[in-house]
Amino acid sequence: MRKSRLVLAPAALLSAAALVLTGCATEAEEPASTGSTTEAATEAEAETFNVYALLPQGTDQAYGTTYLPPMEAAAAELGINLTITNSQYDADKQASECEIAVAAQPDGIILWPAVGDAVRPCLEAAAAAGIPVTVTNSDLFDADKELSAGFSGPDTYGQGVASAEIMCEIVGDAEVSIIQLNGSIGNSTAIDRDNGFTDTVAANCPNVTILDEQNTDWTKATAQQVASEMITAQGLENIDGIYAADDSIAAGAIAALEARGVDAADYFITGIGNTFMGNPLVAEGKLDGTVFQSSSWDGGNAVRLMHSVLTGAAGPDRELLLMPSVKVTLDNATDPSVAPEW
Amino acid sequence: MAKESLTQAMAIAKSPDEAKREVKGSAAFVVFMADKGIFVFTAILIAASMTFVDGFASLQNLTDLFHRAAPIGIVALGMTFVVITGNYLDLSVVAQAAAAGVILIAVSNATNLATAFAVAFVVAIMFGLVNGIAVGYFKANAVIVTLATTYMGLGLLRLLSGGSQVFGPSDGPIATFGTSKLGPFPYSAVVLVVVAIVLTFVLSKTNFGFMVRSFGVNEKSTRLSGTNTGFIVVGAFLVTSMAAMVGGFVLAAFSNTAVSNMATGFDFQALAAIIVGGTSVFGGKGSIPRTLLGVVFVSILSNVLVLSQISYGWQQVAIGSLIVFAVTVDALGRRVGKK
Amino acid sequence: MSNQSVIKMGSESKGPLGKLRVTLARRTEGRAVGLFLIIATVVTLTQPLVFTAYQVTLGRIALIGLVALGLTAVILMGELDLSVASTLAVSGVIMTVVANETNVLIGVLAALAASVVISLVNAFFVAIVGINSFIATLGMLFALRGFALVLSDEQPVKLANTDFGIAFGQPILGPLTPRILIFFAIFILLQIFVSRVRVGREFLAVGGNRQAAYDAGIPVKRRIFTGFIISGGVAALAGVINALERTAADPTAGSTVLLASFAAAIIGGNYLKGGKGSIVGTLIGAASLGMLQVALTISGVQVPVQEIFIGGILLIAVITDPSSLRAVWGSINTVIQGLKNSRAK
Repeated sequence: MRKSRLVLAPAALLSAAALVLTGCATEAEEPASTGSTTEAATEAEAETFNVYALLPQGTDQAYGTTYLPPMEAAAAELGINLTITNSQYDADKQASECEIAVAAQPDGIILWPAVGDAVRPCLEAAAAAGIPVTVTNSDLFDADKELSAGFSGPDTYGQGVASAEIMCEIVGDAEVSIIQLNGSIGNSTAIDRDNGFTDTVAANCPNVTILDEQNTDWTKATAQQVASEMITAQGLENIDGIYAADDSIAAGAIAALEARGVDAADYFITGIGNTFMGNPLVAEGKLDGTVFQSSSWDGGNAVRLMHSVLTGAAGPDRELLLMPSVKVTLDNATDPSVAPEW
Repeated sequence: MAKESLTQAMAIAKSPDEAKREVKGSAAFVVFMADKGIFVFTAILIAASMTFVDGFASLQNLTDLFHRAAPIGIVALGMTFVVITGNYLDLSVVAQAAAAGVILIAVSNATNLATAFAVAFVVAIMFGLVNGIAVGYFKANAVIVTLATTYMGLGLLRLLSGGSQVFGPSDGPIATFGTSKLGPFPYSAVVLVVVAIVLTFVLSKTNFGFMVRSFGVNEKSTRLSGTNTGFIVVGAFLVTSMAAMVGGFVLAAFSNTAVSNMATGFDFQALAAIIVGGTSVFGGKGSIPRTLLGVVFVSILSNVLVLSQISYGWQQVAIGSLIVFAVTVDALGRRVGKK
Repeated sequence: MSNQSVIKMGSESKGPLGKLRVTLARRTEGRAVGLFLIIATVVTLTQPLVFTAYQVTLGRIALIGLVALGLTAVILMGELDLSVASTLAVSGVIMTVVANETNVLIGVLAALAASVVISLVNAFFVAIVGINSFIATLGMLFALRGFALVLSDEQPVKLANTDFGIAFGQPILGPLTPRILIFFAIFILLQIFVSRVRVGREFLAVGGNRQAAYDAGIPVKRRIFTGFIISGGVAALAGVINALERTAADPTAGSTVLLASFAAAIIGGNYLKGGKGSIVGTLIGAASLGMLQVALTISGVQVPVQEIFIGGILLIAVITDPSSLRAVWGSINTVIQGLKNSRAK
């Protein structure tokens, strides 16, 4: 990335200069658009920041794949040189990448914790070196928050809450039993969503009983396999619904139900994500509700937040950019504002 | 090889006069268990599951079992060839199965099924050739070679496919294949059986199969006999690649979805099934039906653990302990048999 | 032993140059040194930060290398220990759980004690029962991962004494952290053990020809026990260091460790079937890989491209080994000979 940027930088400057020249010449024709381009170009020329983004996933997962392009686009727009790493959810690998980042003395570090419990040393090292850290996607524990300049991303616990609220609403006062399908084992997001869901169900609708829970690796195939076996264990007639930590998992659970010749629409099913796979299922009425998570919002704002911290636009307090946990149900599934992104 | 001779030496040292005595009584039982133990264990597991686990004996669960067994089973059947040649395992099945699955769905979405098959086939051949030539002709270590091709394969797959999750139309031929059944048998189970029959034939009835088995027993004498040993290894890796491709197809069709990390863990899971079946990692000993039985055993075990609502941690403990138990019996039997 | 004397006798007739050649041929680290030099040169020219921030690079090398050093002890005997990855995870969890109840020292001791038990179980199955180590430890790989999850309630365990953990990650000798110092201490101890101590030297004999070792009166079983205790203990040490430095234990840790340490050991010239190899080789292998990884991270190249690159280097490294090239040359010769023969007919 950096090498290509080194080549790109002069090229960008040249083209910006060319734009200024042609802009002057053709000002009469397209004043507005040329003007803004020139501005952007001069701004990038004025301040270029080097930023490390320590991520635990990338093109190896569906979410990371669609998270990266908006992140890189926002960085290009704001004049930030991004160096991106992928620790594949290995806390030790991420810690080593953090050491490398601190040694490289960038202007800032964007951190997406691989394991929330394990990032404190990284934060302290960055603080000691005077490098501001912003957090993306999964927020820190309360005790660690003072060591970061801000957070942007979804509220992973709140997503579990929102999914539970949909469940409580559609269930009403009926006594129902559901099975729970979690993400992959030990994963922070999976644990947060699990806690958000179970806490809310216990508080708001204790009439919903969770019969059994299993992990799924976040994949549809595993979810489909495990869901079918869980249904066998409980007996199809004893199950009224399914909570899935993610839409791919929900899709797997729905496929498992359909393989038994029953209509998934007759079951209370909620997911999280509003993905390419989940959104059509909501529109079809098979998935009763999901919670919108926008990967472009997440990736883009990670960089925008860092930029506002670096330029001093952000205040002295910890900046919080929370992705709204928009509930997606049959009523709004086809609304353009909740068009799926990943 | 060295260990077997050691065991032999220890046995002789302990009881020199027993060396030629016939195996009797309890010893005979242990020998029998060592050779046929996996059959007995599988039978016990099935009987116990039918008695104690609710829902195990249902028709639906039979289907689930086959879904569980088919993708990993097909991969394990192919990998048996590499294991028999004494080359430990093929780690790159993780990348190969994922590549096949992603190509199947992504390319058939973009063009048609035939093109997807063709592309996946070419990719599988490439994997098999690179692995096979590096191990067979360059005599390079199979663990590192296949680790390297795993990295390269996954990297290329993510670079070229953009990395995201792909899924096919819900009424397409792939989805139909994934959900269709022949009686209680999903199509994937039929594929598993067909692959098993074909590979059994290849390993036990063809010239190539004979060379694979003799290569595993003694590489040097095979080479001295004038056989082209590099060719055998390339062949074994090609068989593995073909099987990994079919396994990837079956897994992708099951959920009509594919993503580059979908076969994570297939390397050691397949190896576990092969080993539980009784194929020796020293090479030489082993057969396709044994691996099939190993797959059945491990799949039933996983299935029963989920049915019994055991947590993931204890599932791992149980699977690991049973692998050790199964091979302990095997080892004890071989030692008694030597006496 | 007899091999060596044969070589010595042969070398005497060839003079000092021949002697040097024989010594070089006898060493197994050639490929590792070559790879190391190439990587070091390229990295110096393109990413000098790898050297200016050498403590970071050393940290990464210690991260991948520590487990590999212990693993080498069993590899020299022709055995394998796949369970190191899970030993690392479970010992981290045990250390943290016990430390949270008592104190860090007792936690560390508990983790190391657990690793001895694990090693004894491994070695029991390998040496006494006679199971191939690849299989026995594969079972342990699954089972121990399960125990780590059960003990941790399937969640990362936070170390209560965070301050100690943070302090543990700080440099104590110049820019060197305890991890780096422990890594080098283990390296020196193992190097001395394998090359200077009789018990250690016998590891190579056990790996080279077990029957001969047995006949020569070497207590093979006891050596196997020692080897597994070394590999398990070092893996547990790595798990403890990781958990302390992170101030938390992750029960799913070690996913990338197993294959990386195998790669380091094999690139270092250790022969998986035993009898050939060295601790130094593993160190050089780990250093090559660590340097490469740090350089790639700094370069900011897209992660999939990094994967392709690392895979490519591994592949090239392992097929350009002198014995590999000889093997290929032999094959080509056979083909040419075959062609000549057929033409002659």
